[in-house]
Amino acid sequence: MPALFFNIIKLLFLLLLFLFLWQVARSIRSHVGSNPGVRTDGMAVELVILTGDTETERVRIRPKGHVIGRSPDADIRISDPYSSEFHARVGIQDGDVVVHDLGSTNGTYVNGRRVTSPTLVTRGDTVQIGKTILEVR
Amino acid sequence: MTRRAEAGLIVAACLLAAIGVAIVEFTQGNWLDAQVALTFLAFAAAFGGVYLAVIRWAPGASSLLLPLAAFLTAIGFIEIYRLDSHLAALQRWWLLVAAAAGALVLWALRDAGVSVLRRYRYVILAIGIGLLLLPLLPDSWLVYGATVNGSRLWVRIDIPGASRVMSFQPGEVAKVLITIFLASYLAERAEAMSVVSRKIGPFEIPEPRHLGPVVVAAVAAFLVLVYQRDLGASLLLFGIFVGMLYIATGRSFYVVTGAALVVIAGWTALVSFDHVQRRIEAWLDPFGHFSEAGYQTVQGLFAMGSGALTGSGIGLGRPDLIPAAATDFIFAAVAEEMGLAGSLAVLTGFSLLIAVGFGIALRSRERFRKYLAGGLMLVIGLQAFIIIAGVLRLMPITGLTLPFMSYGGSSLVTNMAIIALLLRVSHEERT
Repeated sequence: MPALFFNIIKLLFLLLLFLFLWQVARSIRSHVGSNPGVRTDGMAVELVILTGDTETERVRIRPKGHVIGRSPDADIRISDPYSSEFHARVGIQDGDVVVHDLGSTNGTYVNGRRVTSPTLVTRGDTVQIGKTILEVR
Repeated sequence: MTRRAEAGLIVAACLLAAIGVAIVEFTQGNWLDAQVALTFLAFAAAFGGVYLAVIRWAPGASSLLLPLAAFLTAIGFIEIYRLDSHLAALQRWWLLVAAAAGALVLWALRDAGVSVLRRYRYVILAIGIGLLLLPLLPDSWLVYGATVNGSRLWVRIDIPGASRVMSFQPGEVAKVLITIFLASYLAERAEAMSVVSRKIGPFEIPEPRHLGPVVVAAVAAFLVLVYQRDLGASLLLFGIFVGMLYIATGRSFYVVTGAALVVIAGWTALVSFDHVQRRIEAWLDPFGHFSEAGYQTVQGLFAMGSGALTGSGIGLGRPDLIPAAATDFIFAAVAEEMGLAGSLAVLTGFSLLIAVGFGIALRSRERFRKYLAGGLMLVIGLQAFIIIAGVLRLMPITGLTLPFMSYGGSSLVTNMAIIALLLRVSHEERT
């Protein structure tokens, strides 16, 4: 009889352990996951051109975004021989600043790494297009 | 999760500790006594205290770190209590000291934030290295090093007038200080270090001068191994260096080089030190060395094997047969009495804690905070991995404490300080 009693206690205790973990695991979703990027709520995020031949020096990122490229029709025009006509787009999605490469020939680099899919960036990140380097501030 | 839910989980963890102690009392044929209440009060005071400190000085902090730390501490404490109630009484005091240390960290950083640590990074590094070397002090001094179980890790202080000796492991604190230094060093250098200058085969090689830190790390870890004869600390230290370089640069090159250096250093250690040799032999063939070096490992394996799926029940196994069951081998003791289910609960607890910690690092926007959170999580994660893998015979056994669970004041205080720093980082980077 005591053996059965101890067995029940043992199993109940283990159950308690896992109930605790279950409670924690339920709410862990919002605690992990990747970089939420720059939250733009109310705060201005700017794109600053650090090096490169361009007329624009800094621009406040607007919600619909800016297309950067060599074409005269680009929102931010850069005279860079290594840039494509419409090279990349920097915009705001759900309050995050996102960089899209628009199928450019030489690629778009965020912090020195080539990006092929839409990438979240944060303040202090650099975006390189050809020989032109822009920083998110 | 709300602060309220967090408080609920903390109370639940404190209750778990008290229930565990009550079960131990039952199985020993005793009725409920003051120990159960004392345990609950000590846990509630410790974690409740840190919780209040969080509300006061870091209200935006992650709400999952403290409950998980309390959970792991509770399971470890139950097993310590079951092994030696005198040790458990000491551990209760250590828990209070650790909580005070955690609250102190939160208080000290309340205005300036963690970035103030960057300003003092060379002081921090100097203290860290000093602490690491402290156990090498000669025996005749007032503060002196002591050799325990073949490793020179302990420092003892003779308190004049009293016959008491205070002892602690400075290496525990040192690894946190070194992590803080590395985080601030890398926050400035990482970009340069991730620039690729050439390629050899599939590996992108950074400029040679950026290899300096890796080599320094390897040398420092090797010195610890040679002079303090401590495999675990040396491996942990090196793992932290390499892991943080990887976090900061994202270059697998550093990991590959690091692994290669571990193999080379390990081989050198194997052929030149007999204590390393004995460890490896005891690992490969513990049953053949049952009466000597393999004894501990074998007892651990027996314990885990007899635990089976749900364990013998708390207080009903024989974990006291394992040498160092309350410290290095606490995982085997848990596996014996709470079974596979209990040990999986421990592993889950650690995994969740590590996930939350790396989540904080991932979401940090500022480099220093990112590397600090990642590095601190590496300290806990790697340490847990190295010692659990040693107990499971996945790799040679190296003497390290299991964070939060093992008996030991230095370890508990350090881990609580780590949690406090992580809480602070998550407060500053709240999203």
